[in-house]
Amino acid sequence: MNYDLDLAVSALPLLFLGAGVTIKITALSVGFGIIIGLFVGIARISEFRLLRLLAAVYVDFLRGTPLLVQIFLVYFALPVVTGQHMDPFLAAISACSINSGAYIAEIFRAGIQSVDNGQMEAGRSLGLSWAQTMRYIIVPQAFKRVIPPLGNEFIALLKDSSLVSVIGFEELTRRGQLIIARTYGSLEIWTAVALIYLIMTIAISRLVAYLERRFQVSDRH
Amino acid sequence: MIDIKGLRKSFGDTEVLRGIDLSVADREVVVIIGPSGSGKSTLLRCINFLEEPTAGTITIDGDEVTAQNLNEIRAEVGMVFQRFNLFPHMTVGENITLAPRKVRNTSPEEATQVALALLQKVGLADRIDAYPEQLSGGQQQRVAIARARAMKPKVMLFDEPTSALDPEMVKEVLNVMQELATEGMTMVVVTHEMGFAREVGDRVLFVDQGVIVEHGTPEEIFSHPKEERTKLFLSKIL
Repeated sequence: MNYDLDLAVSALPLLFLGAGVTIKITALSVGFGIIIGLFVGIARISEFRLLRLLAAVYVDFLRGTPLLVQIFLVYFALPVVTGQHMDPFLAAISACSINSGAYIAEIFRAGIQSVDNGQMEAGRSLGLSWAQTMRYIIVPQAFKRVIPPLGNEFIALLKDSSLVSVIGFEELTRRGQLIIARTYGSLEIWTAVALIYLIMTIAISRLVAYLERRFQVSDRH
Repeated sequence: MIDIKGLRKSFGDTEVLRGIDLSVADREVVVIIGPSGSGKSTLLRCINFLEEPTAGTITIDGDEVTAQNLNEIRAEVGMVFQRFNLFPHMTVGENITLAPRKVRNTSPEEATQVALALLQKVGLADRIDAYPEQLSGGQQQRVAIARARAMKPKVMLFDEPTSALDPEMVKEVLNVMQELATEGMTMVVVTHEMGFAREVGDRVLFVDQGVIVEHGTPEEIFSHPKEERTKLFLSKIL
């Protein structure tokens, strides 16, 4: 077995480019996922049955089917319906956001339900509407509690985003594949790719741990 | 001020309130006593629909409470909880000004002035920027009373306001409530503080097994109870 260190090192600039793209799709998808998840998560526990039902269908479908299949649906199946070619970047972001939104919805739902029911009662007894109580009282308290699971979701999606390589989108995994196609350095490149993922996930989990500690110090404010 | 007719409430198969009729006059202080599980808290919570009645009507100041006008009615009905339920992520001042600003569209300046005046009444004006966790239980409950008052309610409901307090803090909360009664607030109070019931109550209701067993002046209930169940309850707690 020969490990060609020069090959690995020379591939790094391109791999870092890919890692940047990986972070970008992950951050964008989690960002959109948070917006989707907030609405879907609240819909899951709303007073309206239809909303609850729609939200449950959304969550069940996206958590019950593989992300890879969802990516194919957005990239290959959707254009058949619309007759429009799908841009890989748009497809990657959409699939990941919609998928992540379902998981984040469950995180928010759990976070909201973990807030003492007395808070909702206190808000409502003052004449605030359900939506106002959610917005000013429940969600701000829930948000601090969902930081650790949101961090985990970010890490999970960072790794799962490697799946968008199959539609030719050039994030870290796809960059690695392309370099290997040129150099046949499977060992060097895949270990380098794995290492870069590891560094990113460790950095994020450290960051989340830091945020968690900060909020613990000032738990309530 | 409050008119309750034929109020019933079931949780699943359990009927907790079995036909309650009650009128509370303007400026009257009604104290509800009874064993735990008697339905007294449920009765109180039905008045502002925190529990939706299974049957019966509740009228507050001439308006019947329905699922449609809830927010308007609740703005007129202050509620104080056993566990205070202050908003932990907000300062004392923010706790008190939130509802006036969002529900009544009061300007922040005016709402803050009202908050300060109410805090002065409960002796906590210097804690307006504190967070609830920095206050003792008694102080938190006094803030909760100020928060409810900031909406200028016509009626105030108290759900065992001193039950979660350390004994040495009970008095400071009862004093605030007594002052409130003196100022002419219409109050319905569920409590185990018989001293308060006797001194401040205009009328005492003894509730057991979902019905009002007996009601009368504190003197009548505490010194000359007519019903056996009332006598039995009082003999256990006095």
